Amino acid sequence: MADVQTTNQSILVVGGGMSGITSALEAAEAGYDVVLVEKNPYLGGRVAQLYQYFPKLCPPNCGLEINFRRMRQNSKIRFFTMAEVANISGSEGNYNVTIKLSPRYVNDKCTCCGKCSDACEAEIDNTFNFGMDKIKAAYLPHEFAFPMRYVIDPSIVETEDGKKCQEVCEYGAIELDMAESTFDLNVGAVVWAAGWNPYEAEKIDYYGFGEYPNVITNVMMERMASPNGPTQGKILRPSDGKEVKNIAFIQCAGSRDENHLPYCSGICCLASMKQATYVRERHPDCDISIFFIDIRALDRLEDFYTKVQEDEKIQFIKSKIANISEDEATGNLLLEGENTRTGEQLRMTFDMAVLATGMVPNKIDIAGAPEVAADEYGFVINDPEKAGIYGAGCVRRPTDVASSVADATSSAFKAIQSIARR
Amino acid sequence: MENKMGYNASFAEEVFRNVDSGDEIKMCMNCGVCAASCPLREHMDYPPRQIFSLIRAGKREEVLGSQSIMLCTSCYTCVVKCPRSIPVMDVMHGLAHYALKKGYTPRIEAARFGKEFWNQVYRRGRVDERDLAQRAYFAGGFWEGVKKILEFADVGIKLVLHRRMKLIPEKKIKGISTLRKMLDKAEMLDKGRSVQ
Repeated sequence: MADVQTTNQSILVVGGGMSGITSALEAAEAGYDVVLVEKNPYLGGRVAQLYQYFPKLCPPNCGLEINFRRMRQNSKIRFFTMAEVANISGSEGNYNVTIKLSPRYVNDKCTCCGKCSDACEAEIDNTFNFGMDKIKAAYLPHEFAFPMRYVIDPSIVETEDGKKCQEVCEYGAIELDMAESTFDLNVGAVVWAAGWNPYEAEKIDYYGFGEYPNVITNVMMERMASPNGPTQGKILRPSDGKEVKNIAFIQCAGSRDENHLPYCSGICCLASMKQATYVRERHPDCDISIFFIDIRALDRLEDFYTKVQEDEKIQFIKSKIANISEDEATGNLLLEGENTRTGEQLRMTFDMAVLATGMVPNKIDIAGAPEVAADEYGFVINDPEKAGIYGAGCVRRPTDVASSVADATSSAFKAIQSIARR
Repeated sequence: MENKMGYNASFAEEVFRNVDSGDEIKMCMNCGVCAASCPLREHMDYPPRQIFSLIRAGKREEVLGSQSIMLCTSCYTCVVKCPRSIPVMDVMHGLAHYALKKGYTPRIEAARFGKEFWNQVYRRGRVDERDLAQRAYFAGGFWEGVKKILEFADVGIKLVLHRRMKLIPEKKIKGISTLRKMLDKAEMLDKGRSVQ
C-alpha cells in the first residue's frame, strides 16, 4: 500500500515516457505536487528503447538521465512504476483516481547485484527488445533502467526458480508474497501522456511480417542498432544471423492507408533516414533503398533529407511496395511495386526489409472515465470546453521527441491553470 | 482548352461526370499499388495508376484507346489493396463502357465477345458455347473467322470430347419472356431512365 497524500491542488501524470516526465517535472518545478504513474517497471518509455535521438544522433540515455536527476532532486514528484489507472471520476479541479500497482516482487533494498538473475534458470521473451532475444525471468529491464531495480516475472513466483532467487538474495530484497494493490488519489487535474504503440505490422498481410523472419519493423531496428540490444548493435538478418548486404526501408507501412491508419504518422520518413545512417555506420558496404510514396521532411528537417540523399549508398525509390515474398531457400525477400517516377514494374531482392510502421495513440480506455475530446483517429484534443484532463505528446499527434517535450510543457501549464481556476 | 503544358482539365471533368465511379479518381495519390498488384500488369499498355494520371493530364485518346481498360478480370486485388479505398476495378469497367459508347474499340474481340454473350443470354436465356464462339469469331469477317476457328480447333475438340461444348444447339429456357423483361429493365436503368 502506497502512502501518498494528495489534494485537489495536485496533478496526476499518466505515463512515464518523455512527455509524462516532462509534464511532471515542469509542474513540480513550478511548485505543484505531482504523482506520476508508469505501466512499465522503468521510466523513459519508447525513448529508452531508441538507439539515437533524432536529429542530433546522440544516445537517448543522457537526455533521460538529466530528467531523472531533476526528478530525484525534486521532492514534489512521487512516481510509481508498474502502476496503472484503474478508475477515474470527477471533474476539473476534483478528480478521484484509483491506481493499481502490479507486484514487482522486488523491494527497494535491491542493489542490482544480479545474483537472483544468475540463480534463475527460466527464461522469458525480452519485451524491451520486442522479443528478439530472451532474458532470465529475474531481470533488470535494461542497463540504464530507472529506478535501477530488478523485476521478478510472475511466471516464476511459485516455482523453484522463484525460491532460488529469494535464497541467493543477500539483502532480503525479494518478496515473493507481494500482491497487487490499489490506492486512491485526489487530484485537481490529469495529464494523459500514455504515448503510442507501433501499428501492428501483422495486419498488413502482403508484407509477411511475422511470417518471414527477415521482415522487421522500425522499432525493432532501433533495438538492433543499439549496442545493448539483441545483436550488440550489428544489423544481422534474423533468419541466419548474416550481416546485411542490401536492405530496404518500406515507408507508410500502414500509415496513409484507409485499410489501416488513414493518417500520416509524420515521423517515419525521417526515422527511416536516421536508421539508414545506422546501417551506413555499422556496415559501410551495405546498399540501402528507401521506398516511399512522398517524403515528408518538413521545415528545417529537410536538411537531414538533403544530407542523406547525397549518400551514394542510399537510394530513394518512389514506389509503395505492393507485395513482399520470400525465397524459402535463402530467406531473401522479393519486393514488388511500380516505380511511379519511371512507370516501370519494380522487382528487387533484399536481405532484409524494415517496415516503417506508424504511431497509434494510447487512448483513455477506462470504463466510466470522464469524456475527453478526441479526433476521428483517437488523438486527444485539448478542448477548452472539457478542461481538466489534458493529452500530452504522442497521444495528441504523431510526433518526434522534441515536439513531445514542447507539447508536454504546454499541457503541464494547462493542468496548473485547471487548479488555479478553482 | 489546352494550356501550354498540354494539360487538358476538361477530359478529367468529362470522366468525373460521365464515367461510372469516375469521380473516385480524385482520391488517387499515385502510389502504384494497383499497378503492382494487377495479375494482368504485364499485358497492360498503361496500368491503372498511369490511366488515372493520363486522365488528369487530359490524354483522352490514350485513355479511351487503351487496351488496359478492357483487360480487367474483376479479381478485386486492387480494390482490396488501394490505400485510398478507390474501387479501381469499377473505374476500369466504367472507362471501358464509356470508351465503347464513344466508339473506341481498343480490344475489339473482347467487345464483340461481350456483345455476343449478351445476345445469347437475351435470345436463349443461356449461352450456347459453340454458337457464341462461332458468332464472335466471324463478327470480324469471313476470313478472320476461319483463321480463329483453325487457331482454336484443338481447344474446341477437347471441349466436345469432355462434353463441355455441345454440337447440337442449346434450347431456350422456360419463361424466356420474363427474363427478357428483366434484361430490358436493366438496360433502361443503365441508360439512366426511370423504371416502373
